[in-house]
Parts: sequence; structure tokens; C-alpha cells
Amino acid sequence: MDDQKQELIPKKQSLFPITAEDIVDNALQNLDEKQAQRVTEKAADEIVRLAVEKRKAEYRAGAAQEEMRNLIDNANLLDERVGDYSIQSSFETASGTTNVEIRKSRTSAAMMALIVAAGVLIVLLVYLVLRG
Amino acid sequence: MRILLGLNDESLAELLELYKIEFGPGAARYARKTYRKWRSGEVAPVTETFERFLLRLPKVMTFDLKCEVLRRLMDEFSAKDNHKLTVYTDDWEEKLPPLVEQIVIKANTSGLPREVERRLRWLAEDETQLAQEILRKSRIEQGRIAVSMLREEMAAIESVLAEKHLRPKVVHKLKFPCGTITLNIKRR
Repeated sequence: MDDQKQELIPKKQSLFPITAEDIVDNALQNLDEKQAQRVTEKAADEIVRLAVEKRKAEYRAGAAQEEMRNLIDNANLLDERVGDYSIQSSFETASGTTNVEIRKSRTSAAMMALIVAAGVLIVLLVYLVLRG
Repeated sequence: MRILLGLNDESLAELLELYKIEFGPGAARYARKTYRKWRSGEVAPVTETFERFLLRLPKVMTFDLKCEVLRRLMDEFSAKDNHKLTVYTDDWEEKLPPLVEQIVIKANTSGLPREVERRLRWLAEDETQLAQEILRKSRIEQGRIAVSMLREEMAAIESVLAEKHLRPKVVHKLKFPCGTITLNIKRR
């Protein structure tokens, strides 16, 4: 259970805190020599597979960061030049997927302002009618 | 069956070759012809085919192939936890780890359903038990790899959220072998 209590998001983490030996040590006694070798090889294969996964995850993280920077640059350009726009982007990162949504609608902002102004005007008129 | 036939191409080819050796070219031809329908669930295999694939074939499978079958079974049958959480860029490090820990521990403790273990007796062999242990540890490590770069990822997300005039909305879905955590990320 000790390894479960380790910090889960450590600043710098050793690549593989568990080794093939840790995994197979206790259960190997019941196996014959051939079986034991197969199991040990599988554990080693799995460590290699995880190392590859880790590299792939690092690559995805780097690419996602670059794409997010591009997204912001593009959104800023659109923001300067266009009234209404909507961007929805999805990035595959090391830990999963990041979805970013940026939306701007000058029309709806103007519409909201008009509705609020009309509302205020109606309230004012009702007040004046009731008072008069 | 769907699990077996969802193996990667190399393992599936090995499985079907083994099937041919064990049960003859006629049975193998039928299996090859029908496997897409089994895979999609469109047609259920007859009991004899099921027994051949899942009960008799494992006895002659290589250890590697057995491990791949086991991996598919674990992916299919392990209980999945799906969480949703709203976090701020300045408090995610306090809120998130307990949930991640819960999911990682689940990967360590979750096994195959009793019914599956009862029917697939080869799962009880010492060698297979060890393979399960290896794959379980591997899933935990996979979870750790996923979150090991979360700080860098959050820094990138924070830089998106820092563009306040754009009012960006960011949702990040963390994927683990035993579940997902959907984070609605905000900046104060």
C-alpha cells in the first residue's frame, strides 16, 4: 500500500518505480523454470511498453502546448478583425483531452444592450403612468 | 468473443492460425468468414465456437497471446469511475490528487468478475495470475504516466485562460484505465 500513498503528481518522478523483480518475486515459486522465464520476460516487455507510452505522452503534451499557443494567436487575430466568431478546439495531451471554446458575438452583445435599455424604458414608463 | 476478436491484427492473426491448427481448416475458414459479425455483435457464436475460442484455445496459446487476451478482458470488465469536478488554476493541486488516488487504487484492486473467472478456468493458472498482476501494476503506472505531466499541461491551460478578453472555456478530460475525471477549469 505504501506505493499507493506516494505523491501522485510529483515534480520529478522516476520513470518506473516498480521493477519486473518487484512484480514477480512472490509468485515465482510455483512456476517451473520455463514459465518463470516467460513471466519475467513479459514483465520486462511491459516496462518497455510503458516507456514507449511515456515518450508518446510527452510528445502529445508538447504538441498540445504548441497548438494551444497557435489557438490563442488565431483567436486574438479574429478578435481584432471579426465581430462574431466561435472556435472550438480539442487537444490530445499526455493525460487526456483538452477542449477549448472561445466565442464572441457582437450582435448578441448589442441585442442584450437593446433589451436591457428597452426594459429600463418600460419600467420607467410604467412608473410614470402609475404616478400620473 | 467480441473481446477476443478485438485484439490487434497481429494477435488476431496468431489466434486464427492457432484455431486452424487445433480445429482444422474448415472451422478456421468459417471463423475467418464470420468473425466480423461476431466482432460487431451482429451474430452470436454457437456454444461450440465459444468454447473452442475461450476455453480450449487458451491451453495452446503462447503466454504473450494469453496476456493480450487478458489485457482485453481487464479493459472490458474493469469497473469504470467517471467524475466531474470544477477546479481553479490555483486550487487543482489540492482538489485533484484525492480523486486520482481513488482511481489509481481502484486499478490496483479491481479484478475480473467472478462469473468470468469461474467460466475461464485458465485464468486461475499461476502463470496467468502473475500476468494479471503484471498488467494491474502496468495500469497503475499508466495512470501515473498520465498525470506526471499534468503540471505542464495546466500551465498551458492557464496561459489560455489568462487571455481574459477572449473569455475562453476550458474542459479537460483525464483518462485512466479505470475511469475518467472531467475537469471544468476556471481562473480567478
